[in-house]
Amino acid sequence: MQELLQQIVSGIATGGIFASLALALVLIYNAMGLVNFAQGEMAMLATFVALALIDHGMNYWIAFPVTLVIAFAGGIAIERVVIRPVERAPILTLVIITLGLATLINGLAGFIFGYVPRAFPSPFSVQTVNILGALASYQDLGVIAVSGVVLLAIYMLLQHTTVGLTMRAAAHHPEASRLLGVHVSWMLALGWGLASAVGSVSGIMVAPILLLQPNMMQTIIIYAFAAAVLGGIESPLGAVVGGVIVGVTVNLAGVYLPFVGGDLQLAVALAIIVGVLVLKPNGLFGRPSVRRV
Amino acid sequence: MALLELEEVRAGYGPTSVLHGVSLSVPEGQIVSLLGANGAGKTTTLRSITGGVHWTGDIRFAGRSLRRMHTEDVVRCGIAHVPEGRGILTELTVDENLKLGSHLRRDGAAVRKDYDRVFEYFPVLRERRGLSASTLSGGEQQMLALARAFLMKPRLMLLDEPSLGLAPLIVRAIFEIIRTINTEDRVAVLLVEQNARLALEMSSDAYVLEVGRVAVSGTSSELKGNDAVRRSYLGY
Ligand SMILES: Nc1ncnc2c1ncn2[C@@H]1O[C@H](COP(=O)(O)OP(=O)(O)O)[C@@H](O)[C@H]1O
Ligand SMILES: [Mg+2]
Repeated sequence: MQELLQQIVSGIATGGIFASLALALVLIYNAMGLVNFAQGEMAMLATFVALALIDHGMNYWIAFPVTLVIAFAGGIAIERVVIRPVERAPILTLVIITLGLATLINGLAGFIFGYVPRAFPSPFSVQTVNILGALASYQDLGVIAVSGVVLLAIYMLLQHTTVGLTMRAAAHHPEASRLLGVHVSWMLALGWGLASAVGSVSGIMVAPILLLQPNMMQTIIIYAFAAAVLGGIESPLGAVVGGVIVGVTVNLAGVYLPFVGGDLQLAVALAIIVGVLVLKPNGLFGRPSVRRV
Repeated sequence: MALLELEEVRAGYGPTSVLHGVSLSVPEGQIVSLLGANGAGKTTTLRSITGGVHWTGDIRFAGRSLRRMHTEDVVRCGIAHVPEGRGILTELTVDENLKLGSHLRRDGAAVRKDYDRVFEYFPVLRERRGLSASTLSGGEQQMLALARAFLMKPRLMLLDEPSLGLAPLIVRAIFEIIRTINTEDRVAVLLVEQNARLALEMSSDAYVLEVGRVAVSGTSSELKGNDAVRRSYLGY
C-alpha cells in the first residue's frame, strides 16, 4: 500500500512534466488546429539555454523565469518567421513545417551543444519525506509544485484576463473576433510564445532525471501526445488531467506489470493514444467536434 | 460631410464580382436603410466596409480612407459590425461576449454605466451572464450581438438583417432599442433588412440594391410613398 502510494506520487510528478508539454500542444492546437511536432525540440533548446545560464553562474531560480521569457520570445519569433508566411496553407503543409522545424532545432542543438548527455541541476534534493506513511522524494514534490504553479498561472491567464479572453476568442472564432477588434494574427503569435514557455518547463523539469542531450524530449513528446489526446486535444484542463493520468499509469505499469518493465512504458503511452482515438476520439474533456477547417 | 461614404465600390469573391460600383453615404447620427432582394449584395457591401472582402473604389469613414485596412483596425476606428449570423462566440459565455465588446475601451466608469444600460435594455442578458452563449435563443443572441456592439461605443453600427428568423414581438423590441441607441447616443446605423417596411419606418434615407448596383435611393419617406418603387423593389 505504502509502495503503491509512493509510486502514485512519483507518477503525478512525471505527469506534471507530461502535462506541461501537453498543455503547450493544446495551446497551439486550439489556436490553429495544428499539432506542433516541434514542441518537444523547442523545450529541449530552452533547457540548453537554462543550462547555459546556470553554468554562467546564474541562480537556478533566476535562470528558470529568465529561460521562460526567452522561450516565450523564441516561440513568438518562430511563429512570425516560420508560421506566419504560411498561415493560410493547408494543415498538412503546416504539420510538415513543424516536423521540419523539429529536425532543424534538433540538429542545431546537436551542432552547438554536442550529443554528450549533460547533468542538469535540480533545486530539489532526492531525500524523502514521510507524508501520511508514504515516502515521497523532495524531487517529486518539487516537480509537482512547479508544474502546478505554472499550469495554474496559465489557467488564470486564459480564464481571468482580457488578453486570455481575446486569445480564446481568436482561437475559436477568428472571423467574429476580428469584427470585435481582436488582432487574431497576434493572438496566434502569443499562443506560440505561451506554448513555448510552458513546454520549456517540462524540459527543465525532466532534464535532471534524463540528462540533457538533443534527443531528450523525443520520448516525452509521445507521452505528451498521449496526455493531450486522452484529455481531448482542445482542452487545456484535459491536457493537465491527461498528463497526470498518463504519468501515473505509465509509472504503475512499469513497476507492477512485470512484462512492461521500464522498456515498454512508451508502448503503454502509444496504447493510450490508439485506445482513446478508437474508443473516445474526443477524449475526456473534448467536445464532439464540429470543427472549422 | 457624411460619416461613411462609399464611392464606386466594386467587390467580389475570387473571380465572381458581386458589387459593380456602389456609392452611398451615411450621415453622422442618422439611420440609413440598405434594402434589396436576396443575393443583391447587401452583406457584401457591409463586408467591404469592414475589410472582409477585397474591394476597389473608395470607402471613407470620418474623412479617412479605409483602403487596405485590416478588419480589426477598421473596427477600432469606431465601426461596430453585427454580421449576418450575428457573430456570437458560442464557445464563450454571455459575459465574455460582452467583455469582448468593451475590451478596447479605457473609459472604465463610462463602460460600467453602459453595462447598466445594456442590462436595462435586455434584462435577460443579466440573468444569463454566466451561461454559455450557445444556450441563448435566436432572439437572445441577436440581443447579445446588439448589446455587444453598443458596448464598443461605436460611431457607426452596421446591422445585417437583425430581424432575420425572429418573432415579430422580439423584432419590435430590438428595433425599439436600435432607435433608442441612435437617438440617445447619436450612433449612426447602416441597416440591412429584408423587411423593407420596418426598415423604412426607422431610417431617414434608404438605398435599394439590385444585383450589385444601387437601383433606387432617396429619403425613406419618398421611397415609402412611391408606389412603383414599392411594388418593383420592396415587395409590399
Ligand atoms: N463567400 C462567398 N463566395 C462566393 N460568392 C458569394 C459569397 N457570399 C455571397 N456570394 C454571392 O454574392 C452575391 C451577393 O451575396 P450577398 O452579399 O450575401 O447578398 P445579400 O446579403 O444581399 O443577400 C450572391 O450572388 C451570393 O451568391
Ligand atoms: Mg445577406
